[in-house]
Amino acid sequence: MVCQEDNFYPQSEGLCCRVERTNESRIMAGLAILKRIYLAVYNWVVFAGWLQVLYWAVQTLRTSGYEAVYAAVERPLQFAQTAAILEIFHGMFGLVRSPVSATLPQIGSRIYVTWAILWSFPETRTSPIVSSLVLSWSITELIRYSFFGMREAFGITPSFLQWLRYSTFYILYPTGISSEVGLILTALPYVKVSEKYCLRMPNRLNIAFDNYFATLFTLASYIPGSPYMYTYMIGQRAKALAKAKKSA
Amino acid sequence: MLVTVTSRSGKEVVKGGIQLSENATVKDLKASIHKRTAGKLYPERQRLSLPLVSGQTRPTVLDGDKRLCDVFPEGSDHIVILKDLGPQVKYSTLFFFEYVGPLFIYPMFYFLPLYKFVGLPEKRVIHPVQTYATIYWCFHYFKRIMETFFVHKFSHATSPLSFVFRNCCYYWSFAVFIAYFVNHPYYTPVGETQMYIGFGLGIICQLANFYCHIILKNLRDPKGQGGYQIPRGFLFNYITCANYTTEIYQWLGFNIATQTVAGYSFLVVAAYIMSDWALGKHRRLKKLYDGKEGRVKYPNRFVILPPFL
Repeated sequence: MVCQEDNFYPQSEGLCCRVERTNESRIMAGLAILKRIYLAVYNWVVFAGWLQVLYWAVQTLRTSGYEAVYAAVERPLQFAQTAAILEIFHGMFGLVRSPVSATLPQIGSRIYVTWAILWSFPETRTSPIVSSLVLSWSITELIRYSFFGMREAFGITPSFLQWLRYSTFYILYPTGISSEVGLILTALPYVKVSEKYCLRMPNRLNIAFDNYFATLFTLASYIPGSPYMYTYMIGQRAKALAKAKKSA
Repeated sequence: MLVTVTSRSGKEVVKGGIQLSENATVKDLKASIHKRTAGKLYPERQRLSLPLVSGQTRPTVLDGDKRLCDVFPEGSDHIVILKDLGPQVKYSTLFFFEYVGPLFIYPMFYFLPLYKFVGLPEKRVIHPVQTYATIYWCFHYFKRIMETFFVHKFSHATSPLSFVFRNCCYYWSFAVFIAYFVNHPYYTPVGETQMYIGFGLGIICQLANFYCHIILKNLRDPKGQGGYQIPRGFLFNYITCANYTTEIYQWLGFNIATQTVAGYSFLVVAAYIMSDWALGKHRRLKKLYDGKEGRVKYPNRFVILPPFL
């Protein structure tokens, strides 16, 4: 059918059309490569950040003690965790397939602990919970970013990495989440007395913000949020391992 | 004919299939599935569709009084895919629970000394605008409940039970959010002129909204043609979803009069959701009335928010 129609039009127009079509497919292929390069670089850069976090955390724990862990990891932790915001956009613009409903609560809660708790309330930084938090986060993320980094950069998904990616969360999610909750609870009394970030009425726009209530609200959101994320990961695990079995 | 009923993963749901007469409709099929699944899957709970043909992303959903022999493509196996939509409730039940929450939550903040529980002074001066706002709010939700039972004709009979929880969360929490700030002991009222302009606009839009709902009801009258009709008359001559337009501007009026960030954020979210619905409806109507092969052409109209959309 297509051939006949092409013949119907003057030769030059048909050609022109065909050239455009190949150009378009060339652009698409170029974009796909660009996307892969970008994702590969992104994953390995953030991987490097988490590697520093884990290295300095272990080093500090061995040499001085848990009180000094935060100071040692602060910069790479803030860098690697904040970079994860890009992942929400990756999902939104279709660069990766993970739904925003799964990335947003996970990354949102981490960003919250990193900036609204640890950075905003220095009193929490010397807590031993910082160590369990940083270890849980960095180990999870090292596995995750190397898994996706391998796939994007070299096109391979080593089965042991895949197994780790979809198994370690059984332990590292509970430790990570309880560390997050523990740190927020540690910060709670300081949040209450400091009045930091609070906006009081009266004002012309009739709005108020109380960080203490907001913190309580965030804590409450962990009650439905944690089982939701945990079961989501169990589902992901079943999907990924079933797929791996099929292709093997 | 023998119809095979499978789940989305391809498993047979009704063992041995269902034997139906040649003239059977989709409705008859749903009724027999209901019987064969031990009465669990009543017709409203079922979504029947044809298996995906390659290149198709959305399945063809079967409903209504279509005859089955017209539904299946020539020479294909008689397979339908059944999806369990979950427990269903009547649409009017859904609406009732959505609206009854705000109707009672809002006046609680006006009448009861709730603010002492968050460490605020119990005594407060009540500004006139707060009293008017309470009356306005309650009238609005009372109107919605009355319309639910006496005006609206629903295009779908039921909605999933889970929507009740989801939608109540949305309506009830926004009611708490707005009522808290409008009745706050440290509330700052706007000037009198602004207040009257706001409530005036709001009341006019509510009345217009009521009239829009009457027009929509008559469009779906059992004596009418049924199906998707072009809404006409009053504001519908200019806007496809004039009912949403008046609803949005009605909230704008309330916000001009009360001026809270909470109220304006509700306005933005509500306008976003309704615009989404309106765009869908506008698209469907334009597709249905495309002006080809003797069909009427859908007139040029705003979708929901003149002069922008």
